[in-house]
Order: sequence, then structure tokens, then C-alpha cells
Amino acid sequence: MRPSTILFIVLLLLLGAESGLAFHGAYLRAEQRAQEPELDIVTAGLGLSDLCVATEARYTRNPAASDRVVPFMDHPGAVEHFPTGSFWAPPPYMRF
Amino acid sequence: MLRSSLERQLNILDYALSSLWRRRLKSLSIMLVFAAVIFLLASFQMVTTSLSQAAGRALARAPEITVQRMVAGRQETIPLAYLDKLSAIFGIRKVVPRIWGYHFDASNGANYTVMGLDPAVMPLGESLNLTLAEGRFFTDSEKGKAVVGQAIPASMGLADRRTFSLFRPDLTLKPFTITGVFAPGTELLTHDLIVTTLADARDLFAIPPDRVTDFCVYVANPAEIQTIARKIADRLPDTRVLTRPQIQKTYQVVFGWRSGFGSICLLTALAAFAILAWDKASGLSPEERREIGILKVLGWETADVLAVRFWEGLLISALAFGVGCLLAWIHVVYFGAALFRPVMVGWSVIYPPLALVPNLALADFLLIFAFTVMPYLAVTVIPAWRAATVPPDSAIR
Repeated sequence: MRPSTILFIVLLLLLGAESGLAFHGAYLRAEQRAQEPELDIVTAGLGLSDLCVATEARYTRNPAASDRVVPFMDHPGAVEHFPTGSFWAPPPYMRF
Repeated sequence: MLRSSLERQLNILDYALSSLWRRRLKSLSIMLVFAAVIFLLASFQMVTTSLSQAAGRALARAPEITVQRMVAGRQETIPLAYLDKLSAIFGIRKVVPRIWGYHFDASNGANYTVMGLDPAVMPLGESLNLTLAEGRFFTDSEKGKAVVGQAIPASMGLADRRTFSLFRPDLTLKPFTITGVFAPGTELLTHDLIVTTLADARDLFAIPPDRVTDFCVYVANPAEIQTIARKIADRLPDTRVLTRPQIQKTYQVVFGWRSGFGSICLLTALAAFAILAWDKASGLSPEERREIGILKVLGWETADVLAVRFWEGLLISALAFGVGCLLAWIHVVYFGAALFRPVMVGWSVIYPPLALVPNLALADFLLIFAFTVMPYLAVTVIPAWRAATVPPDSAIR
């Protein structure tokens, strides 16, 4: 068997696996879309402005409604010490 | 003509594959490192894309305008008297006062988000019962009632009990009875929430009767959100006015490459490529130069040698790209980005089980491709071209 034939078989297997995952992803997204009306009601009914991804610091629990430079405001010279602070960039309207 | 050209390329591809197989340990190690770098970049891109998309969907009905009071750079409680000033602005349909904040549970280290409002006056407030897995929403006249997120009963160890207490600032206990629990499908928004009446939230946080945390403002014409926000900012200069478009924009930018973690991912990838590029650009090994010399003596042209090197580079980078993206997808969708979770949730005691399913566009893959495969192809072909243009006899010697 030519080396290129083996390569094509490997590429086909890889493509098959990725197509299978893509189809399953589309199915999972359809499941998520079915929950959107519930999320709409919760967001509107409670006036929510943020996702609950991290709950350790108020500026990563509610980045949209948090203070400007809040990570550094606890006392003069304070440094930001919560790990999630490194994952979230400040919103543009809160940057100096 | 086309068939012979295709056959020629297939022969060159066969030769390139044989060449890679001869140096299989080196080829495999480069491919694995390459795949790991692509995995890192693709995972970050997929996590941030799915969170941004989830926020875009979930926060489409966020308050049109939120008004908060700022004192010395910090958010402070806002006087209820500001309601009169807001009501005087033409175009405002409704202003809803809220009291909300965070409650640290010293017994388990968890932070709860406590929200007090009258659901009956909120948009879609009458439908909130549909979002509960069990129970019902309280009415504003009921005292000491709460609707909680999925995490709360487990975090407090309530088991079958439906009552709990939280400490007021003076360390007296404020009792609550759970009337409902939010459905698991809403966890992305409600996981740590304790929703209660305005009066009970005021009692819990000991907020004076003439103060609230913020106002949700709803306008008659959504096209006028910006105009009315400007008017509010003019009339109440000590407030910060957040609009729905601003809230939605927040989640399009907070998970970016400019965040500390994103920068680390990008810099790691760039450092790996710099090392790889340095290795390649510093020239071919004597064996590789000799191989090129022999090929040229046998009648191969410079273009053929370059085609072999191009195929080698393309094969390694394309396979690494395919494997890296495949593993990144599995990591994000089926393992909830487990490698990133320690940074995403930090020291949070309660956090929702994230169901991340990014809806990736071609542009996302092109971005990763442009950062990874293109530079690798460039640094592979350039030294090969330099070696292929030297006379064969000097290359062999």
C-alpha cells in the first residue's frame, strides 16, 4: 500500500471523527436553544445582568455591574489576588 | 496532463511521507508539541466563544437601563428620592428599585448572590413560576420567603429542610423559608441566587428604608435607550448608567486575548513557535543538506525539493491542527474545559456545571490556522529553499 493511501485513510478517519463531533455539537446546541425561553424569563423577571460562572469575587460574578478598578480598591496599594481576575478582562466602558 | 501532474505530486507526497517516517521520532515529537500548542489556543478560543455566545443569548432580556450611585469610585446605595427625578424624564415607562448584594457564608466559604425585588412589577415577572424546578414564586406581601438556585440547598446542607438562616451585619439571624428552587436549565444565571422580597433583603443587609442598591429603568421606546441614559446621567451626575447594549457588549470583550490568561496562552504559543522557527531558520542538518544534494544529483529540480519540504511541513502542521482542534473540542464540550476550570472559577466554592458548546464559525478556525500552520509552513520552506539553491556537489561534500 502506498504511503499516501495510508495518509488518506488517516485523514478520512480524522474527518469522520470531527464530523461526528460536529453533528453531536449541533444536537447539544439544539438542546440548549430549547432552554432559551426559560433564560429569557429569568433574565427579564429578575433584571439579571451577568452569568454565574465564578462566585469568588464580585467583579467576576457581576463584571457588567461592578465598580471601575474594583480589584484594586480594597485598600491603598492593594493588588488583585483572585485567580478568576486573570481570566476576565475589564469591560471597555470601565477602562481608563 | 492533469493526471500526470497529480501522479507526480502523489509521488512527491509518498517521498515526503517516507522521509517523515525515516525521522519518525523527531516528526512525531514536533507534531505532538505542535498539536499541544494548537490544543491550548483552540481550547481558549472555544471556551471564550461559547461563553460569549451563551451570554449573548441569556442576557438578551437584561434591564434596558440600570442606574447605580457612585461615591468615591465605589458603588453605594442609591436614595429612593431619586425615583422622582427619574420619573420626570419623558420616555421612561417604569422604574423598579432593587436591593441586591453578596452574602459570604463563613461556614462553608461560599458566596451567595442575594436579590430583593418585587417580581410582580418586573417584565415577565408573572411567568417566573415557569423557571422553577419545584415550588412557586413568593408574592411581595409574604415575609421571609425565598426562591433559591440549585446550589443553595446542597451548599447549606439542607437535605429535605426548607428553612435556612443568614447572618445580618449585627450577627443576628434572619430566617428564610424556601418556596421554590430554580430549574437546572437556568443554572448559568441562577446557580448561586437567593431571591427574596425587597423588605427581606433590606432587613438582611440592614439597608436604611430610604435606600436601595440600584434601579432598573424600562423605556417606552427601546430605540431611545441611549438618549434616555444620557438624560439620566445629566440629571443624576453622581450615578453610573448602564445600558443593555453595554451589558451585552461586556461579554463580547471580557473573554478576550487581552485578559491575563488569554495573554499567557497566546504568549506560550508564540514562544513555542519562536523556538521552532529558530530551530528551522538556523538551517538544515548536514544529513538533510546531503539528502537534498543527492536528490539534485539524481535529477530533482529545486521546485521538486521545495515541494517535498512543503508537503512535509503541511502534513505535520495539518495533522497537528486536526488533532489539536479535535482534542480541544472534546476538552471543552465533554469535559467542561476541565484544564481551565481552576482559573475560570478560582476559589469559588459554588459554581455551575458549565455546558459549553461553541458554535464555531470558519473565522475561528482560520484564526487558529493563521496563528499556527502558516508560520510553520513559512519557517519550513525558507531554509529548504536556501539549501536547494546551493550546488549539489557542495551540498554532498
